[in-house]
Amino acid sequence: MSNRKTKKPVLMMSVIILILSIALLGCSNDSVENEGTKGEDGNVITFAWPRDIGELNPHMYNPSQLFSTSMVYEPLVSYGDGGELKPHLAESWDISADGKEYLFHLRQDVKFSDGTSFNAEIVKKNFDAILNNVDLHSWLGFISKIAQTEVVDEHTFKLTLTEPYYPTIQELAVVRPVRFLGEAGFPEDGDTSKGVEKPVGTGPWVLKEYKVDEYAIFIRNENYWGEVPSVEQIKVKVVPDAETRVLAFEKGDLDLLYGEGVISIDSFNQLESTGSYETSISEPVATRQLVMNTNKEQLSDERVRQALHYGFNKEALVEGVTSGLEEKADYILPTNLSYTSEVAATKVDYDVEKAMQLLDEAGWKLPKGKTVREKDGKPLEIELMYNSAESIQKTMAETLQSEWAGLGVKLNIAGVELTTQVERFKANEFEMNFFSNYGAPYDPHSFVNVVATKGFGFNEAISAYPNKEEILNKIAQVTKTTDETERQQLYTEILGSLQEQGAIVPISYIKKIAIYQKDVADFTFPANRDEHPFTGISVKE
Amino acid sequence: MGTYVLKRIITIVPIFLIATLVTFGMINLSPVDPAEAYFATAHIQATDEMLEQKRHEFGLDQPLLIQYVNTLIKICQFDFGISYVTNKPVWEEITSRLPATIQLTIGSLLIAILVSVPLGFLAGIKKNSGMDHFSRFLSFIGASIPSFWLGYLFIFFFSVKLDLFPVEGTGTWKHLILPSVTLAFPLIALYTRLLRASVLENLQESYVLFARTRGFHEKMIMGKHVLRMAISPMITGLGMNIGNLLTGAIIVEAVFSWPGFGRYFIDAIFNRDVPVIQAYVLLAAGVFLISNLIVDLVQMYIDPRISRKGRQYQ
Repeated sequence: MSNRKTKKPVLMMSVIILILSIALLGCSNDSVENEGTKGEDGNVITFAWPRDIGELNPHMYNPSQLFSTSMVYEPLVSYGDGGELKPHLAESWDISADGKEYLFHLRQDVKFSDGTSFNAEIVKKNFDAILNNVDLHSWLGFISKIAQTEVVDEHTFKLTLTEPYYPTIQELAVVRPVRFLGEAGFPEDGDTSKGVEKPVGTGPWVLKEYKVDEYAIFIRNENYWGEVPSVEQIKVKVVPDAETRVLAFEKGDLDLLYGEGVISIDSFNQLESTGSYETSISEPVATRQLVMNTNKEQLSDERVRQALHYGFNKEALVEGVTSGLEEKADYILPTNLSYTSEVAATKVDYDVEKAMQLLDEAGWKLPKGKTVREKDGKPLEIELMYNSAESIQKTMAETLQSEWAGLGVKLNIAGVELTTQVERFKANEFEMNFFSNYGAPYDPHSFVNVVATKGFGFNEAISAYPNKEEILNKIAQVTKTTDETERQQLYTEILGSLQEQGAIVPISYIKKIAIYQKDVADFTFPANRDEHPFTGISVKE
Repeated sequence: MGTYVLKRIITIVPIFLIATLVTFGMINLSPVDPAEAYFATAHIQATDEMLEQKRHEFGLDQPLLIQYVNTLIKICQFDFGISYVTNKPVWEEITSRLPATIQLTIGSLLIAILVSVPLGFLAGIKKNSGMDHFSRFLSFIGASIPSFWLGYLFIFFFSVKLDLFPVEGTGTWKHLILPSVTLAFPLIALYTRLLRASVLENLQESYVLFARTRGFHEKMIMGKHVLRMAISPMITGLGMNIGNLLTGAIIVEAVFSWPGFGRYFIDAIFNRDVPVIQAYVLLAAGVFLISNLIVDLVQMYIDPRISRKGRQYQ
């Protein structure tokens, strides 16, 4: 009798567990089978992304991903190579002589994916929804300067600013928040900050199927006004782990890996060395910079800052840490952005002798029998803050630590979380920090604006610059001037002066990587850092 | 037994209160401002006005005590708030991801039981046999390999090289195998050793000797008496580990792109998505409490001496 008692609960538990698990398996069986891409349809690209694509809201930030938003929604103006601004949903535009009025002539043949037409009414509706949350979007310069939006006629839209602001056209190329949602996507009260009804855009891709945290399938928009993509489908798999992405790619489940830091440098080199895949590295998208806080006593002397710049082998550092995925940088902004190609700043080459000499001149002498330089009894000790989640920053920090130790400089390195890094930088609670600029289509104006704005870190960090006020004045002027030559002149001076005095040290140019299967053809990197990489891509038969 | 259950349920209330207090305190001790984290995630340089507006939206501009009381009142109404990042109700976000995590948990529990019970039992009754050595070997491996590494190894051999299972994702029973085994591995190691030790201990008991003297068949003694007595500590262990399985699934979910809530929770931590973190901790606390309660009840059922002991004290 007692035997039966023993058996019962164990048996019952097993049976319940079995039933439950079968039931649960049953629940999830409706999801599609996604084994590779070759079997089903040749004309599909399977792509992996670390995060879920989000709700595809063109007017909000989290959790929508930039690349997926850019597949569905389009801008008035698009950003091309070298900073060329090309007509997109706007066929052309006129800017008034005072630089305050922008008249956009819209394309007439554009339809949203649900068949409704794209016109000045819907452009205004989108702008009004964005302006409802003007504070939220105030990081984008022209938004807070908008005085009025106006429908002139069905295909003409007028934007009036409170003051001239030349980057307006360039800022219209960003992926959010100035892209256009169709009428059917708006919620009843028109407030898109709470969410969109459905993702209706004018873009080349349409969302067909979506499963949170699993995958999203985009099909091409057959009625697209521009060149219809040759690939029929883009399948985006959400794969949060970088090593898993590599393994899935090796197995052939993925056709393309693309982005910044999507896989480790080692994995990239290993996959490349097999020769079985195509690899590609983009033009510079941003500059990795080292920012020195001139408010701190040790770094207030320009000679010390210069000495530190001369005192490390940049080329070897960048090559050693990134294995060629990044390139040694000579300028604080990549030179392929508008107005950045003629910066008047001295190229600093590795020169230990000179570094030592500069430190001696600045009064930091190496006492006999010690390894760290001193001045008035104080050791030359500096702290470098880095994002602990970024292995490149960490390895670079460690390399700098050992290189500068040779000069007699003690570098302490502090790994912190991204948010803490941002907060400490803004609160001026740092000695040295890593920073990288935003890249296209935000720069150069966003970078100089961040430098000028109080509370963002740079403004306080360059306090020891004797010409700080002059630089800030020029920055205030540069976005207002309507004269192209004057603008170029101002940028040359601002960027040159910022770099020349050594508080911002360019380290490397950050690049994107792409690795794809041999049957993927015509892959190109988008000029806009945030755009999707699927324009023109095709699959070989 | 009814009063016992009631008492246990009542004790859950203060434990929940403590859990909410601790989570709330810990989150507020962190120097990171959720509003700042929101914009850092979106790679936007936030102005003071933007931060101010977000803090107001999140209710972070109110005094801490009021924030805590408000949260508590809402939780009592089963309202866990709105996720800062996705702008959707946290409860919705969690319940939509919970089935996947439960599926994984049950799968691994099943594998753990199916492997460790026979293995531990045989290792115990046949001490120092080949089976015993094998179980020891497996236990050492299971206890020392970190699960993310094991996950990569499994993917590499069984998926990339042998093409038996998919690398990641969900959909079929095949998708469930590798993550479940990965999650079950440390449990197998633990329970095999636990059951083996327990069997050995029971073999020393006088009832085994009596049974043998009475001439019972060895198979019957082992299967119907020793196993029944020896399995009891393992059930306690299982109950305690259901909570661990749910929370331990975080890493396995990330490695196998399993769309459960563990993965969602990791993102929430980095984004300082406070309502999600709070809800997750409460849920985990709830699972631990309830699974322990269930285990105690099952124990009582299997071994009535426990409840009889309880009655003596009443």
